[in-house]
Amino acid sequence: MKKNDVIMIGIIVVIALVALCLVNLYGKWNTKDAQAVVTIDGTEYGRYPLSEDRTVKIESENNGYNLLIIEKGDARIEEASCPDKICVRHKPIDKTGETLVCLPNKVVVEIENGEEADVDASTN
Amino acid sequence: MKKKYQALILGIVVIIFAGILLWHGKNTTKTERFEAQFTDVFDTVTNIIGYGESQETFTRQVSELKEQFDYYNQLYDIYNDYDGVNNIKTINDNAGKEPVKVAPEIIDLLKLGKEAYVETNGQVNIAYGSVLSLWHDYREAGLNSPTKAELPPMEEIEAKAAHTDINQLIIDEEASTVYLADAEMSLDVGSIGKGYAVQKVADYAKAHNMNHLLISAGGNVCVVGAKEDGEGWSVGVQNPDLSSDKEYVQKVKLQDMSIVTSGNYQRYYEVAGKRYCHIIDPDTMMPAEHMASVSVIMKDSGKADAMSTALFNMDYEEGKALVESMDGVEAMWILEDGSIQYSSGFSKYLEK
Repeated sequence: MKKNDVIMIGIIVVIALVALCLVNLYGKWNTKDAQAVVTIDGTEYGRYPLSEDRTVKIESENNGYNLLIIEKGDARIEEASCPDKICVRHKPIDKTGETLVCLPNKVVVEIENGEEADVDASTN
Repeated sequence: MKKKYQALILGIVVIIFAGILLWHGKNTTKTERFEAQFTDVFDTVTNIIGYGESQETFTRQVSELKEQFDYYNQLYDIYNDYDGVNNIKTINDNAGKEPVKVAPEIIDLLKLGKEAYVETNGQVNIAYGSVLSLWHDYREAGLNSPTKAELPPMEEIEAKAAHTDINQLIIDEEASTVYLADAEMSLDVGSIGKGYAVQKVADYAKAHNMNHLLISAGGNVCVVGAKEDGEGWSVGVQNPDLSSDKEYVQKVKLQDMSIVTSGNYQRYYEVAGKRYCHIIDPDTMMPAEHMASVSVIMKDSGKADAMSTALFNMDYEEGKALVESMDGVEAMWILEDGSIQYSSGFSKYLEK
C-alpha cells in the first residue's frame, strides 16, 4: 500500500467520525427544552419552559385557580382554590412524566422533556 | 495495482457509511414509549404507560382502555345516576325495596367484597356505606370550611353502624340481581372498586395484545408484563412525610403484578389540629390510626386494593400475621415514626 492510500483511508475515517458526531448532535439539538404542560380537563392550557422562572395563575371553571410557580428548574403549586390542597402539598416536579394534579379544578401539570424519571410510577 | 487499492478504499467508505445509517436507523425506528392520562374516572388521576410504533397506535389503544374504565366507573359509582345503567347507587336507592338487576361485573365485584370481608375478619366491609357517608359529609364540610371542621357525634355514628351487616347484601347470581335487605344500609365499594376495575382493564389489555403496559389509577398500580426491554416496571412507594426531600421510601420492580397503597397523608381533614384520614376502622368506627401507610403486592389488583384497606385498619402485628398466613400476598408497612416493616417475602420485589 502506498503512503497516499494510507492518508486517504485516514481522511475517510476522520470524515466518517465527523459524520457520526453530526448525526449524534442532530439528535441532541432536536430534543426540546424541559417544560411544564398544563391541561384543564384534558385540554391544553399552556406550556412553560422550566428554564424561565415565572408565576402562572391557572384559571379554571367556577373561579377556581391554581398558582403555578416555576423556579430554579422545577414546578410547584403554591396556592389553590380547592379545598383538599393535595396539589399544594405535592413536592416540586422536574422529571419527565411527573405530575401535579388538582382534581377539583381538573388541572394537571405534567413535565415533558425533563430529566429522566427514576421510576415508572408511584403508589401512595 | 492502484485500482485494487481504490476498490478497497471505496469498500471501506461504503461499509462505514452503511454502518452510520444502520446505527442511526436502529435508534429511530424502534417502538416508542408513550404515556396517557385522564382525570375523570374513579375520582382520581389515571396514568397509562405503554409502547407503540406511533402516537396514533398508542392513542387508539388508550381510547379502548379508557372506554373500559368509563364502563366500570359508571357501574361502581355510588353518587351518580347514568341513563340506562343500574349501578351501585341504584342498588343503594332500592335498599329495603326490591332486588335490582345488574351487570355481571357488579355481581363479580360484590362477590369479591364478600370474600374479602371473610378473609380479613371484617376489616374491609363494602356494606359500611352508611357510616362512610356520614364521615364523608363531615370531611367535605370540614375541608370546605376548616375553622368549622368537626367530628360526627358518636351517637350518630353508632346509629349508622347498626346498618352495616354484609349478610343483608343478597346476591342472586342466577337472576343477576342484588338486594339490600336492610332499608337503612348502603354499599360503598371505594375499598375495592377501583382496584378491581384496574385489574379488569389490565386483563382486557392482555387479551388485546397489549403486552407491556402500566396502569396506575391514583397510585393503584397494575403492570402487564415487563417493560419492552424486559426489565421490570419500577414503582416508587411514596414517602408519607411530604416535607422530606426523599420522595420514595422504597422502589419495587414488578412484572405482571399489582401494588396498592393505603395511607393517611393524602386524603384527610383536620379537626382541632388533629388529622383524620378517609379510611374508617370498623372496630372503632373512627379514622384508622395504626400507621402512616401500607403497600400490598399481589397479582390481582382488586384483591390488593381490598387487602391494603384491611391492613390499614389493623395494627402491624395483626396485619403481618394475616399476610404471612396467605399465599401470594406481600406487604410493606410505614409506621407513624417512619420505621418500615416488611412481610417475609417482600424483599424479592425491592429494587437492587
